[in-house]
Amino acid sequence: MLMLLAVFVPILAGVLVLALKNLKENRGVLTGCFTAVLAAEAVLVILAVMGGGSVTLWKLTDTITLGLKIDKVGSLFAVLTSVMWLLAGIHSTSYMKHEHDEQRFYGFYLIVVGVLAGLDFSADLITMYVFYEMMTLTSLPLVLHELTKEAIHAGLKYLFYSVAGAFLALFGIFFLANVCGNLQFTAGGVVTPDMIAGKEGLLLFAVFAMIVGFGTKAGMFPLHGWLPTAHPVAPAPASAVLSGVITKAGVIAIIRVVYFIVGPVMIRGTWVQYAWMVLALLTVFMGSMLAYREKVMKKRFAYSTVSQVSYVLFGLSLLEPTAFVGALCHVVFHSVIKDALFLFAGAVIVRTGWTRIEQLRGLGRIMPKALAFYTLAALALIGIPPASGFVSKWYLATGSLASGTGALGFIGPVILLISALLTAGYLLPIMIQGYFPGQDFDGQEIKERGLEGKEPEPAMLVPIGILGIASLLLGCFPGPLIAFARSVAEMVL
Amino acid sequence: MFAHLMLNIEETVSMILFGIGFTTLLLHPNLIKKIIGMNIMDTAVYLFLAAKGYIAGRMVPIMSDGIQDASAYINPVPSGLVLTGIVVSVSTTALMLALTIRLYERYGSLNLDRILILVKEEGKT
Amino acid sequence: MSFVQNFPFFSIIIAMFSGIVSAVISGKKARNLSIFAIGVTTCMSAAVLAYTWKTGESYTYMMGHFPAPWGNEIRAGVLEGLTALMFGVVMLLSVMGGLDHTEKDVEGSKLNLFYIMIDLMLSSLLALVYTNDLFTAYVFVEINTIAGCGLIMIRQWGRSLSAAIRYMVMSSLGSGLFLIGLSLLYDVTGQLLMIPAKEAVAQLAATDAYVIPMLVILAVISVGLAIKSGLYPFHYWIPDTYAYATPAASAVLSGLVSKGYIFLLIKILYRVMSPEHLMESYTLDVLYWFGIAGMMMGSIHAIQEKDTGRMIAYSSVAQIGYIYMGIGLGTQAGTTAAIFHIFSHGATKALLFISAVGLYEASGGERDYLSLRGAGYRNPLAAIGFTVGAMSMVGFPMLSGFISKLLFATSAFENTGKLLPTLIALAISTTLNAVYFLRLVISLYRPEKRKVDEVHRDSWNLRLAVVCFILLNLVLGLFSQPIVRAIGQGLIMFS
Repeated sequence: MLMLLAVFVPILAGVLVLALKNLKENRGVLTGCFTAVLAAEAVLVILAVMGGGSVTLWKLTDTITLGLKIDKVGSLFAVLTSVMWLLAGIHSTSYMKHEHDEQRFYGFYLIVVGVLAGLDFSADLITMYVFYEMMTLTSLPLVLHELTKEAIHAGLKYLFYSVAGAFLALFGIFFLANVCGNLQFTAGGVVTPDMIAGKEGLLLFAVFAMIVGFGTKAGMFPLHGWLPTAHPVAPAPASAVLSGVITKAGVIAIIRVVYFIVGPVMIRGTWVQYAWMVLALLTVFMGSMLAYREKVMKKRFAYSTVSQVSYVLFGLSLLEPTAFVGALCHVVFHSVIKDALFLFAGAVIVRTGWTRIEQLRGLGRIMPKALAFYTLAALALIGIPPASGFVSKWYLATGSLASGTGALGFIGPVILLISALLTAGYLLPIMIQGYFPGQDFDGQEIKERGLEGKEPEPAMLVPIGILGIASLLLGCFPGPLIAFARSVAEMVL
Repeated sequence: MFAHLMLNIEETVSMILFGIGFTTLLLHPNLIKKIIGMNIMDTAVYLFLAAKGYIAGRMVPIMSDGIQDASAYINPVPSGLVLTGIVVSVSTTALMLALTIRLYERYGSLNLDRILILVKEEGKT
Repeated sequence: MSFVQNFPFFSIIIAMFSGIVSAVISGKKARNLSIFAIGVTTCMSAAVLAYTWKTGESYTYMMGHFPAPWGNEIRAGVLEGLTALMFGVVMLLSVMGGLDHTEKDVEGSKLNLFYIMIDLMLSSLLALVYTNDLFTAYVFVEINTIAGCGLIMIRQWGRSLSAAIRYMVMSSLGSGLFLIGLSLLYDVTGQLLMIPAKEAVAQLAATDAYVIPMLVILAVISVGLAIKSGLYPFHYWIPDTYAYATPAASAVLSGLVSKGYIFLLIKILYRVMSPEHLMESYTLDVLYWFGIAGMMMGSIHAIQEKDTGRMIAYSSVAQIGYIYMGIGLGTQAGTTAAIFHIFSHGATKALLFISAVGLYEASGGERDYLSLRGAGYRNPLAAIGFTVGAMSMVGFPMLSGFISKLLFATSAFENTGKLLPTLIALAISTTLNAVYFLRLVISLYRPEKRKVDEVHRDSWNLRLAVVCFILLNLVLGLFSQPIVRAIGQGLIMFS
């Protein structure tokens, strides 16, 4: 019951926000309700997760039912989603003051969180696919928000990549629906060798299609092209959740397919595993490279997402418990960190209007606190101990070496290391230039505009602060999270 | 081979006619000739049917002189089909002719290719 | 004999009779009569469906009390009842939705002629569904063609006239082939009724006699009906025909008329030809590959189109490709999927044509998709209708299109040789569908520079039709199981 509420309360609230015309004049009420719903959503999700259980929504055909069920992986993603959504939502109440069409933004923002909760709580592949498609469509208005030519171009690109990816996945679902009949998520998979006798090649092909298809949302090569275009054009809070949370929807979809339907046994040591590993590593490296060369701040963060989410995918592709733990941890850490980065970018844009990296010199004079939080998050993403990124990367690397996948298992950690160096290369200059602009920097513009010491508004600064500190603390005390991830890994592997 | 064809001369002829009619209907640009082609095509089928129903030495299937024995008459079903078919083809022909008149009044041409070009130009302006 | 058993015959006669009466009454009265007739026949079809579902078997209805080899027969089972019901519902909603436009597009003095055509169309569709006699089928195929042509040309417009003549030429070619096919069949088997013909065909097959003639018959009949239903590459008449007729006619033509021929083809394949014959002749394979080609090419043409009406029409080419692909799989599941898609596509395509009208009206009569920019704000209901239709075509879960895609995919598994091509074709064509439909949907919701002065309000009947079509789509998407089961049941009764 609670999970139904968790799914449908935000959706209904969102529709209500979209439908009520006169909210526009009442900004206070609007943002108040908006935050209240988000907070309620976070509470509902947590209560639902503690309550557990399952519910059948609808019998679509004799063999296909739509249903929700709470399990560990879903709980992790759902809690993460709702908390991130709340923090970015608080940020947006301040950010959106400077934007048009607030109401539409809030409406769709609420709908998407409900849809995501449904996606995380899905009990079977078809339900998940339904929510997955809904997520694509409802998050589209967030990308389109600015309605500039650029935004519409980005929106279309987003849509076409997503649809192409989703239908690649649908191909696999059709195949699996026939082979297994039952698509309920079961830890360790439902496919048995005698089910697919004679169709092994097709099964592998279908799994690969699904990995690539769902990998679209996670920005995996070769269908990553939309991500650096679409994420930066959205308003900053939306980019934060798009990049930090919605990419993870692709990740959970892949986890569901590989670990809960097909089963790791079926693809271990096949060409699918190796191809998947290669694609993930390629994306890790390429994303970092492109981020390093990118000069626009939000685009740089978006490329960084391409690279970082593929860390997770690489961890999953190893089909090895330690790497799986690393991947799940990295899901959480990257969400926290990337949200912090994008929210920081939003704060900078609102306060100064600067979007390019080289404009950010002397930022430390304007918002030293925000920049400090940024620094925490950046260090965590690079993976400097004891910040959080270190923990997950450590697990990923040890898992990779222990996975017994031959040369690729050794190349993996090397590429992760190179990518970490690149991460340092593209994140730290903002901090260094911000605090230490150098002798020749006179700060004229900052003085003229009277920006000195002007921190972002509290509604922006607080979420950035929470996320920045969390990215450090999660690394210092990773115990509970790792124990949780381990218990999941034991279940599925 | 040829002897076979000669033996079934009606069928052979009707198939050839059907081909002629079909091709004319499909390929000829002139609308009137298209309609003629359609009629040839239909007529070929009727010839075929009538030939199939005919049994040498028997009477038309209209009861005469009180002969009740069915073996005295030819097969009446094909004749019935031909009659129905003629009705259908007459109405189709009429409809197509009416359409042709409409198009001719509008575009002053019977050539379908030309009419289509004119229609396109009309659409542009 | 139960009274309900007369209903198939009654419904054909009622439709035809109201057409005849309409010739002498005014347009308004003809309209009411036509809607009444469609309503009554739909109820009758529902009764037939309920009756056959209850008794669990189909029945044959002799016309004029002549027994089998001579008489003329009607045969009704679950599948026939269901199809007739769906045709009736879609027809009713299409006519209702296009009401205002019909009155605008058709000269006042000729309004009753339009409804004559609608009545004749209904009666011929019902006859195609119910008849058990090949020659009767031919006659009604021709009536259907003539009525269809009338529906197109009633809009006195250069484009619809030229579309009508092209339609007529292609249809005549198709009918000619169908006629020669059935004449040959009569020649070989001596039967015109389907069941005795099947026995004769089976006998011939058993003795290996007339192999080549049977092949020719099968090919000629299939090609003839394929031309008439617009299977790729015989689709050239489709875009103009569907796009330039008056909306009600477009909806009826694209949603139903081609489906009537397909239903007839399925009937002939199942009820006259023996399965072994079908398999050996490769006819099904040919239909299958042409179906797949149609799925691809139709979508590609649609992507290139700027005119919304033509875009939807080209999408029909693709959808008909789906149906032939299903038939071509050659299994019962494949045919079930094809028939479900007949319903699903009928409901969806009619919805698209009807709601597109609302969008044109809100955009100053412009039809190309760039001019429809922002139409979603000017006419919300029509835009929602169009969006639902587009989503269903793309195969969004919970809507009818998804179920038919699922059925196609499922049925492909019974035919291992065609499994991979089917799945790949489904995936590619779905993506292609998404490209042009979602492009249009997005442009509907793109705000544009000219201000929205007022929300366009359609007449109540158009709105009602759109709402009903959306509901129909949801019903087909959510409650598909009983329908699929009924189709399966019907197919068993079929032969």
